Amino acid sequence: MAQAMRPQMMGARVSRVEDPRLLSGQARFLDDIQVPGMLEVAFVRSPHAAARIRGIHTEKAVQYPGVHAVLTHQECSVLLWERDTYKVGQPVLANGEVCYVGQPVVAIVAENRYVAEDAAELVVVEYEPVTPVLDMRESILEQPRRVHPEAENVFFHKKYATPGFDEAFAKAPHHLTASFRTNRQTAVSMEPRGTAAMVDAASGRVTVYASTQSPHRMREDISHLMEIPEHLVRVIVPEVGGGFGMKANCYPEDIVVVAAALKYKKPVKWVSDRMESLETDVHARDDIHDVEVAFDGDGKIIAIRDHLMADGGAYPAYPFSGAVGETSLASRVLTGPYDIPHLATEIHCTYSNKTPLGAYRGVWGPIASFIQEGVVDRVARHLGLDSAEVRRRNMIRPGQFPYRNAAGMVYDEGSYLQSMEEALTLIGYEGFRARQAKLREEGRYLGIGISVFVEPTAMASSEAGSVGYESCTIRIEPSGKVTAALGLGPSGQGHETTMAQIIADQLGVRFEDIVILHGDTDSAPFGGGTGGSRSGPIGGGAALVAGRQMRERLVKYAASLLEAGEEDIELGNGQAWVAGVPDRSIAIRTIAETAYTNVRKIPEGLPIGLELTARYLPKRPVTFSNGTHIAEVEVDIHTGVVEVTRYAVVNDCGTLINPTIVEGQIHGGVAQGIGSAILEALHYDEDGQLVTTSLLDYLLPESTDVPRIDVRHLETPSEGEGGIKGMGEGSLIAAPAAIVNAISDALTPFDGMVDTLPVTPPMVLQMVSGGRTR
Amino acid sequence: MVPITLTVNGVKHALEVEPRWLLADVLRDELHLTGTHLGCEQGVCGACTVLLDGRPARSCLTLAVTASGCEITTVEGLAKDGVLHPVQEAFWQEHALQCGFCTPGFLMTAAHFLENNPNPTRSAIREALSGNLCRCTGYQHIVNAVERAATIIREGDSHAISQD
Repeated sequence: MAQAMRPQMMGARVSRVEDPRLLSGQARFLDDIQVPGMLEVAFVRSPHAAARIRGIHTEKAVQYPGVHAVLTHQECSVLLWERDTYKVGQPVLANGEVCYVGQPVVAIVAENRYVAEDAAELVVVEYEPVTPVLDMRESILEQPRRVHPEAENVFFHKKYATPGFDEAFAKAPHHLTASFRTNRQTAVSMEPRGTAAMVDAASGRVTVYASTQSPHRMREDISHLMEIPEHLVRVIVPEVGGGFGMKANCYPEDIVVVAAALKYKKPVKWVSDRMESLETDVHARDDIHDVEVAFDGDGKIIAIRDHLMADGGAYPAYPFSGAVGETSLASRVLTGPYDIPHLATEIHCTYSNKTPLGAYRGVWGPIASFIQEGVVDRVARHLGLDSAEVRRRNMIRPGQFPYRNAAGMVYDEGSYLQSMEEALTLIGYEGFRARQAKLREEGRYLGIGISVFVEPTAMASSEAGSVGYESCTIRIEPSGKVTAALGLGPSGQGHETTMAQIIADQLGVRFEDIVILHGDTDSAPFGGGTGGSRSGPIGGGAALVAGRQMRERLVKYAASLLEAGEEDIELGNGQAWVAGVPDRSIAIRTIAETAYTNVRKIPEGLPIGLELTARYLPKRPVTFSNGTHIAEVEVDIHTGVVEVTRYAVVNDCGTLINPTIVEGQIHGGVAQGIGSAILEALHYDEDGQLVTTSLLDYLLPESTDVPRIDVRHLETPSEGEGGIKGMGEGSLIAAPAAIVNAISDALTPFDGMVDTLPVTPPMVLQMVSGGRTR
Repeated sequence: MVPITLTVNGVKHALEVEPRWLLADVLRDELHLTGTHLGCEQGVCGACTVLLDGRPARSCLTLAVTASGCEITTVEGLAKDGVLHPVQEAFWQEHALQCGFCTPGFLMTAAHFLENNPNPTRSAIREALSGNLCRCTGYQHIVNAVERAATIIREGDSHAISQD
C-alpha cells in the first residue's frame, strides 16, 4: 500500500475532460433537450407583492390555438412545505393569495414557448392588493401586519451567549457599535433554471431532467411532494450552467412541470427567462447586523454582541430557508480566525412580501466576514493601530488547534497567520502606505483591505443535501477500463476530471481510461449532491475510499495470478507487477477478464466481477479551509466609482486535487465578491415591486471590472481522506470584506467606514461629503 | 410564416419562420444547433453571440427574418475537420471555462477580435470581452486563453478562422 502514498495525478494540473464538448457546442444543457412532441410552459406570475385573488379567468387562454392545458391551483395543488420546520409552505400555484412579485399563479402548457406566452397574456387574474410587508425591523414587530395570518412573522429565533459575557463586555476598556447591512443579491447562474419531464413509455416511470445541484435530493423531493414512489422517479441532471447554491432547491416550477407531464402524458419543459430568474430564483444576503464590540487598548477584542436579522421572503424556500442558513451559521463563525473569547448573539428571521431567501455561494460567510473584518478595522482605526497588526494580535495561533471558538465550533488545523503574512508580502503591504500617502497628495485615493477568512466545509449536513456522506461506485469493465459514478451535481467544478485523478492514483490505471458518471439517479449511488463545499472533501473522499478498496481487490488478484505476496504487488500504468521484478507483471485488463469471464481462476474469497460501492462519512463534522485576501482599490471621490486595482490571495484548502481548478474557483469567487461589494443589488420599491429585473439593472462584474488576481497556495491537510478540504465558497466569503475594507481605507481622510453591501457610487459620494462637513 | 435562407457554418438552409422568431431560437429549435445559448434575452450577457456576415451579433436580439441571406457562424462551425480552432484549443489549455454556458459567446467574440487584432494587449482583450458575461471564471483564465490563442494564430501552427 505504500505505493499509493505516492500520487501521480492528485495535485497535478490536468486539463479538464469536460471541456471538448463544452467548447464545441456539443454539450447538452437543460434547454437543449428536445423530444418530439415536447410541450413548453409559461407562467402567469403575480404582479403584486401582496394581494388576495378574487378570480382567475383562463377561458381565452384555454381556447388559444396551440394551448394544451392551463393549470391553476385547482389542477396542481402541491404545497412546498417542510412541515417539521416551518408553519407555512408555498403552494406551487398560488392559492387565493399572492405573497411576492413573480409568484407563479397559472401555468400554460402549449406547443411552444411563443404560444404559451401569448396565451399567458390572455389570462385575467382579479387581485385585491393588500399592504405589503417590506421592512425587516418592522416585520419583527409584526408591522404593518402578519405576512401569513397563521404564523408569526418571526419564523426563527435563537439566543446564545458565552458564560460571563455581560461581565466581560462591561469590564472592557473600549467599546464600539456599528450596524451592518447587506442588500439582496442573487446567484445569476448564466444558465437559467429549467426542468423537463416525461413518462418513460417502456417502464411507466417518470424521467425528470433537472438543472439542479443535487439529483438525489430532487428525486426525494418529487417523490415525497407528489407521492410517487422513489423507484418510479428518475432524475437526470444534464450539463448545469452554474448553480452557486441557487440550484440547490426544489422550486414550484419543477413540480408543475412534472405534474403536467404526468397529467397529460406528454414531454413538458420549462426554462426560465432572465426576468423570471431575477424575480424567482432564490434571493440571498438580505441581512442586518447590529453589532457591539468590546476591546482593550492593545486592540485585543474581548467580546462581540450581534443582533442578526434576516428577511426570509414570503415563504421558506423548499426545503430550507436561506435566512436561517445565513444567520445561524454566521452566528457560529462570527469570530472568524480570531481568538475572541466572548460572543452573544440573537437571531430573528422574518417573513416579508419578497422573493424567498435561499442559498448563494458562501451563504452566511460573506456577511460574517464583512462584519468580522469590519469590526477589526474599526478597532484598528479607533486605536490608531495598523489593521494588519490588530489582526496579528487577535489571530488564533498554530498551537491552539484544534480550536474551539466562542460559539463552540471546533476548527481543525489551519494556516491563519501564515496566510496573512504571505498575502501581505504578495501585495507589497509595506510599500503600499508610502504610495498611498504620495498619491493622496495628488488627490488620488487608494486603499488597501485585508480579509482573513475561515471557511467551514464538508459539513455533516449542508444546504445541498440531507446527508453527510457521499458514495462512489467503481466498476472496472471486462476490458479493464473504469466507470465510476457519484451522486454529485457539478455545475462547472470539473468533477469528471478531479474524481478521475483521485481514482487513477488508487487503481494504477491511466487517467484517460476512467469515465466519471454523475447526475443520473439510475447510475449514481445515493448521495448528497454538490453544495456547501462538500464535493471535493466528501465526494473526493468517497472516490478515494472506493479506489482503495478496488485497489485491494486488484492486488489480491495480482498476487494470486503472479504467485507473489500481496505486499509485493505494485500497480501503475494499467499494470500490476511484483516490486523489483517488473517482468513478473499482469495487465489490469487481464485481471478484469479473469474477474468476469475466466471466473474459475478468481482467487478464493473474492466475488465475481470488479464492482463495488463505498460510502464515506468524514469523522469530523466539519473541516475548515482558510486564507487571506488583500484588495487594493482606487476611489474616485468625484464620481464615487471604485476600481479594484490589485488583488492577492493566499489560500489553504488542504491537499490540492487540481491546483488549476482551485485557482479557477478562487478567481470566480473574487469576481463575484467584486459584484457583491460594489455592483449587485436587488431593489424593491415602496410597493414591493422588484425594479431590478434585467442584467442592465442588476449589474454583474465584467472583464474590465476584475483585476489580475495573484494566487498562492498553502496546504494544511485535513484529517479526512486525502487531506482534502472544501474550497468552493471561501473566495466569495473573503472578497467582499477585503474590497469594502479597502474602500474604507481609501476614505480614511473623510472618516468613512463602509457599513453596507454593496457600496455604490452615491454611497461613496455621501461618505466623502459627510466626512467633509463633519 | 415567411420563407428565409440562412447559410449556417457553410450549409445553406431554406426555412419557414414566423416574423417574430429570434435568430437564436431558429438556430436552436429549427436547425438543432444548440451550442448557441440564451443567457438573458436582454442583449446583455453575450452568451448567444454568433458571427453574422463575419461580425459578432446577439442572436437573441436579432430576428431570424432580418438575417435572411446572411452567412452565420456558430460555435459548432469553429472547429474545422475535427481540429479545434486556436481559440477553442487555448480555452481548453488555459482552463478558461467552468460551467461552459457562456463559453460559445466568448469563443465567437474572441475569434472575431483576434482576426482584427493579432497581437493584442491584455487590457485590449479585457475591453474586447467586456460585452460577454461569465459568472464562473473571474475572466483571468479567459484573458490568458485569448492571449495564448493570439500566439497560436501568429505562429501559424493551426488554422485561423476565415469569415470572408
